[in-house]
Amino acid sequence: MSTHIQAELLNAYARGDVDGAHAYSIEAHVVGCGECQASIGGLVAADRLERVWAEVGDRLDAPRVSPLEALLSRVGVREHLARLLVATPALRLSWLGSGALVLVFAAWAASQQPGGVYWFLVLAPLLPLAGVAAAYGPDVDPTYEVGLAAPLSSFGLLLIRALAVLVSTSAMVAISSLALPGLHWSAAAWLLPSLALTLCSLALATRVSAITACGSLAVVWMLATSVGRHIAEQPLDVFAPATQLACALLAVGAALVVVRNAENFERRGDLT
Amino acid sequence: MSRTIEMSELRKRYGANDVVAGVSLDVGVGVTGLLGPNGAGKTTLMRMLATVLAPTGGHLRILGRDLDDAEQRTDVRRQLGYMPQEPGFHRHFTVFEFVDYVAILKEMTDTHARHREVRRVLERVDLGDVAGRRIRKLSGGMRKRVAMAQALLGDPRLLVLDEPASALDPEQRMRFRELISELGDGRIVLVSTHQTDDVAALCQRVIVLRDGHAAFDGTPAQLSALARDRVWIADTRDDRAQLSWRTAEGRHRHVGDPPLGARLVSPTIEDGYLLLAGPAAIGKELAA
Repeated sequence: MSTHIQAELLNAYARGDVDGAHAYSIEAHVVGCGECQASIGGLVAADRLERVWAEVGDRLDAPRVSPLEALLSRVGVREHLARLLVATPALRLSWLGSGALVLVFAAWAASQQPGGVYWFLVLAPLLPLAGVAAAYGPDVDPTYEVGLAAPLSSFGLLLIRALAVLVSTSAMVAISSLALPGLHWSAAAWLLPSLALTLCSLALATRVSAITACGSLAVVWMLATSVGRHIAEQPLDVFAPATQLACALLAVGAALVVVRNAENFERRGDLT
Repeated sequence: MSRTIEMSELRKRYGANDVVAGVSLDVGVGVTGLLGPNGAGKTTLMRMLATVLAPTGGHLRILGRDLDDAEQRTDVRRQLGYMPQEPGFHRHFTVFEFVDYVAILKEMTDTHARHREVRRVLERVDLGDVAGRRIRKLSGGMRKRVAMAQALLGDPRLLVLDEPASALDPEQRMRFRELISELGDGRIVLVSTHQTDDVAALCQRVIVLRDGHAAFDGTPAQLSALARDRVWIADTRDDRAQLSWRTAEGRHRHVGDPPLGARLVSPTIEDGYLLLAGPAAIGKELAA
């Protein structure tokens, strides 16, 4: 009695015409039998064999899908875009965790003392701004120089990473703002300033580095809110509808500058 | 499409310094070596040729494309492989993940085709067996090979390699020479290096940069010939020599004017380079 698999059965396996149980038995035998390996090697089409090897290689070496990547895929982000986003320093768990801690503390402090909400609203827009600074650039992205030489638009990469940072940090701020005392319109008063500051940072990044742009805007924001507080009758008046309108206009203006000056970013580089 | 790099009075200025001070060269298919002491402008020139740094002045056309035009610049980048002098890595990535990430930057969006290409370039640099290893656990030489692998993605027509052989051990260096010489068939390969023996072994053409200028442009044999009748062996050191060092045999090799009782010997490419590049190169080469 032969100890090898019959040629007819091997042929059926090569065509994919055997059920799971038979396929498993055949594979278990072929792994340890050189003669059957040689037989089946000639039966399986080269392209199928290559596909199988590619799948085996992918199982062994292909990138692990991180929880963030899995989440992005679930909401419809394409695989290659998700991989670009998970490499964003500002989307790493350690960075987001630090941001969350700051927000929890700010929300807690706001609930403990009168006028605390004002400070929450001053600090909240700075989180996405810090995220944009840590999203892309020679100081934060180790593959920056290789990326500049690649055909994918570097400003486009900054934009998608900034968008991802804005969405994730805004979600964190929104959740923490629910802890503010006496929930009313002021709980959302950070939103337009956040958007305006983020877009202004991108507009400035077409001229100077993202870190310089974000740092300068953070200083300007702190000074502006500080001056506003001294002028306004109540601290929260700083974030009144007039301020919201100004931030909306600023955001639109900055978006136009971004569109117009994107080429500057591509050409400038920050290498020294 | 043109198969050359054309530079005309190419300049790069930082502050008041012209780091690259008017370089005019045409570079074609084959392996071209770029030699020069530290601070000569090699890396700045390589970065301009890799499209990551915009020139301050002059003209630069790569593969017939004008880099001032965004679309043409992107077209060049589609045909370019670049290995920076100090390649950076996301250290938590595995070898495969890193090269895969760069492949995405190179617009390879189809997952299976991209993974196949990643496996191909890793095999090309003998890293197929460590594809799943984290980059932070690799030696310096292996990291250099990872950087080389990403430069080979997409089988580019132009390779700009900034000191690719540093940190490689002797065996890896030989494999590297074999790889570069294979790549030089039908491609433009620019290699910046401090190693004159790599240039002698690999390059059909050598350019020596000094103070931001192209001080020499010719074949390795022509560079060696610069030191013809100017290299001597003597039993003792002689301060009149421009350069002098003790050889492994305990004798003294002099480059420059002949010391008393010296015997004339055949020059090497290193002798020619040392004479040409002057004190800046001497300090570097003799200390090495």
